[in-house]
Amino acid sequence: MTRNGETVKWITARRRHPLAGYVVVILALAFFGVGYAYVAPGADRAEAQTLATEATGDDQTDVARGREIFVRSCASCHGPSGEGTGNGPDITDVGGAAIDFQVSTGRMPSTNPDAQMPRKASMYTQEEIYDLVAYYEEEIGEGPEVPLDVPGSAPERSNFADEEAYEAAKAEYEEAYEAYVSGADDVEVGMELYLTNCAHCHSWSGSGGALTDGKWAPELDDASPRQIYEAMITGPGQMPAFNDMIIQPDEKQELIAYVKDLQNEPDAGGIFNLNRIGQVAEGFIGWTVGLSLIVACAIWITAKQRAHD
Amino acid sequence: MSRTTQAPKGLRATGNFIDDRFHVAKSGEKNLRKVFPNHWSFMLGEIALYSFIILLLTGVFLTLWFKPSMTEVVYDGSYERLQGVVMSEAYASTLHIDFDVRGGFLVRQIHHWAALIFVASLVAHMLRVFFTGAFRKPREINWLIGIAIFVLAILEGLFGYSLPDDLPSGMGIRILQGVMLSLPVIGTYVSMFLFGGEFPGEDIIPRLYMLHILLIPGILLALIVAHFMILWHQKHTQYPGRGRTEKKVVGVPMFPAFAVKAGGFFFFVFAVTVAFSAFVQINPIHLFGPFSPTSITSGLQPDWYMGFMEGALRIFPNWFDFTIFGYAVPTGVLVPALVIPGILFTGLAVWPFLEAWITGDKRHHNVADRPRNAPVRTGVGMAGITFYGLLWMAGSNDILSETFSLNLYGTTWFFRFAIFIGPVLAFVITKRICLGLQRRDRATLAHGYESGTIQQLPSGEYIEVHKESPDEMVHVLRSKEPLDRTDTEDVDENGVEAPSARGLRGRLRTALAHWYTKDNVSFEGVEPHSGHHGQHEEIAPEQAETATR
Repeated sequence: MTRNGETVKWITARRRHPLAGYVVVILALAFFGVGYAYVAPGADRAEAQTLATEATGDDQTDVARGREIFVRSCASCHGPSGEGTGNGPDITDVGGAAIDFQVSTGRMPSTNPDAQMPRKASMYTQEEIYDLVAYYEEEIGEGPEVPLDVPGSAPERSNFADEEAYEAAKAEYEEAYEAYVSGADDVEVGMELYLTNCAHCHSWSGSGGALTDGKWAPELDDASPRQIYEAMITGPGQMPAFNDMIIQPDEKQELIAYVKDLQNEPDAGGIFNLNRIGQVAEGFIGWTVGLSLIVACAIWITAKQRAHD
Repeated sequence: MSRTTQAPKGLRATGNFIDDRFHVAKSGEKNLRKVFPNHWSFMLGEIALYSFIILLLTGVFLTLWFKPSMTEVVYDGSYERLQGVVMSEAYASTLHIDFDVRGGFLVRQIHHWAALIFVASLVAHMLRVFFTGAFRKPREINWLIGIAIFVLAILEGLFGYSLPDDLPSGMGIRILQGVMLSLPVIGTYVSMFLFGGEFPGEDIIPRLYMLHILLIPGILLALIVAHFMILWHQKHTQYPGRGRTEKKVVGVPMFPAFAVKAGGFFFFVFAVTVAFSAFVQINPIHLFGPFSPTSITSGLQPDWYMGFMEGALRIFPNWFDFTIFGYAVPTGVLVPALVIPGILFTGLAVWPFLEAWITGDKRHHNVADRPRNAPVRTGVGMAGITFYGLLWMAGSNDILSETFSLNLYGTTWFFRFAIFIGPVLAFVITKRICLGLQRRDRATLAHGYESGTIQQLPSGEYIEVHKESPDEMVHVLRSKEPLDRTDTEDVDENGVEAPSARGLRGRLRTALAHWYTKDNVSFEGVEPHSGHHGQHEEIAPEQAETATR
């Protein structure tokens, strides 16, 4: 590369190019973005932990293993017999459903007892949670039981030794899920119940919403039917409990089916659904993209002008 | 012209037939050659006009199938999820438009997106007019018509939003009813009259429908026509520049150049609206579900133009509610829902007259102000934008709180303070920026522009060479007019106060005039390129004349 007769380096010849600044910014963003994604702890690590304790495969629950989990992950805050300490509440009357809900949604064990926990990958496999629940019900306390007839979380590939076993479990799960959701046939009941009791926190779309004091109602997209059911009967966090007398099991089924159907509903209005945030996003996009495009066009057509007007 | 161009015979005969009867040729030619100044900001109002046309066209399409009725029906259309659900006929017919009418979904989305863009362009257009002082004499009446169009457009949008009787529209009507009920004494009567009984009743949808498709669009259309006729008569304002005076407009003729541009621009506006409607989902009523009075949801807002009222309702405390003779006066609803918008719109409407009264400026203005040359007005405008914008943001505080993991109550308190501090800060900062720009303008006028060339003098000193500004730039810079000083004129040579400066009103006016004009960078006596290179004496930011009172 030569310039003015001098040989210059490739980079020197280009560093004052009009686009050089943009290239540097894009490279820097890409570096930090990729670097962060590489360094930051992700779901992989949680998965690695669950891999260490592979599913045993038998249907018998193992109370001893449940005790081990309780002692390791629960007792430090909830006390050795679940009566609570300064860091965690008394759990002797919350029931197995609450244990299953909190642990399977990854909210427990908590990393910060003072803050609301977001949903994350569970520390334990479903079998381990069953063991924990068995130990809880034998030694700690009682309350609403895990609704075993409601489909729980989908099986994960990492918990199975081979592909076939996983495929079989997945097919079985999907069948149960379909049967549960399509077993609800009265949309109106589910809709009325949801919009009357749930939407004012979780929003009409189930995408969650803000609550008082820095808390929030979580979004329901990832929640399994069983987790929604358990949340209703146990009332975690700020949520009131809706026991089976207030909303009967078949009504709960209608309600859960309504939410799940709504969330699986395709967006008929266009490929961009603006995360179903609604009017705030619509107004924002209308101004920033819509009006900007039109004004850019106005600038373009008025900039072109003959020399003599 | 030596060469005569003859129109084809067929056209000529028709043309003569019409001209013999209506004498349109002369006035037609004059109007066709009307000049339009060429600047993009003069197209903002046209965006509003074109969106309005799109709204009329799509609105007519929608009326062919929409049934404004609260009669309960069981849905059996082709949208499977809601089959068998009891709903109002209004909602069912909207589902019918979405899923059973060919192109219905697209047209409904075009109608909604066009409404958002319509009001947005109205605001943008209004801000252009405000900041360039284009509302000044002789255009005050057109400004008032514009404000009326703005208010009606908001109402029109609110009513349209309420028609499909889906979940958000029902909630919107519920808030509307709450606002009515907050009116002292007459509140319950107004609500009962409008709803024909208790909320929601059977009557509200047909009544809003009549307002939405007949009365308000009719008035809007009439006002828009009046707005245009006045504009046509008074002509556009224009930005300062060579050859542009208070008496002469410089621009492109209406025909053919401007007409082609404007026509093309219409299609662009239409294209953007349709592209949005095809790809971006708006107001998915089929997902929301029908409204029932027990239903309530978080995460729903009114359309953006109602956002500032929503925000006012959200942050205004209920500390001032009181009861008189057993009647509750809910100021927590009354003030944010009626008084604050009232102040905003009244403020907009009276500003041209207030400004003329303060400055005593009774001249005709056809050349637009550069915003920096009216620092107080620009500052007030920015304060207004900040006030409005903060309310608007407060209206979405739950979405902000959830999206950015903020404390919901924290946002409420933030906005409660920001609504007072923000506008003041905006005013001060804007005014300082304007004055700084004025000083730079004066320096550029006196010294020419900075060329970027550095010279070393024999003494070793380095200076930057200033070059003479182009003629056009000098014209623009010199467009700054000396500000009228009503307060100094009010004292005669013997120091006797003029009658107009006496009394409470006179003193108020003098004080306002002082506030309006005190920080002004005078361009008087500055000749273009009068400064010398190298003589870089700082021009002191002298004030015009200090008020002598």
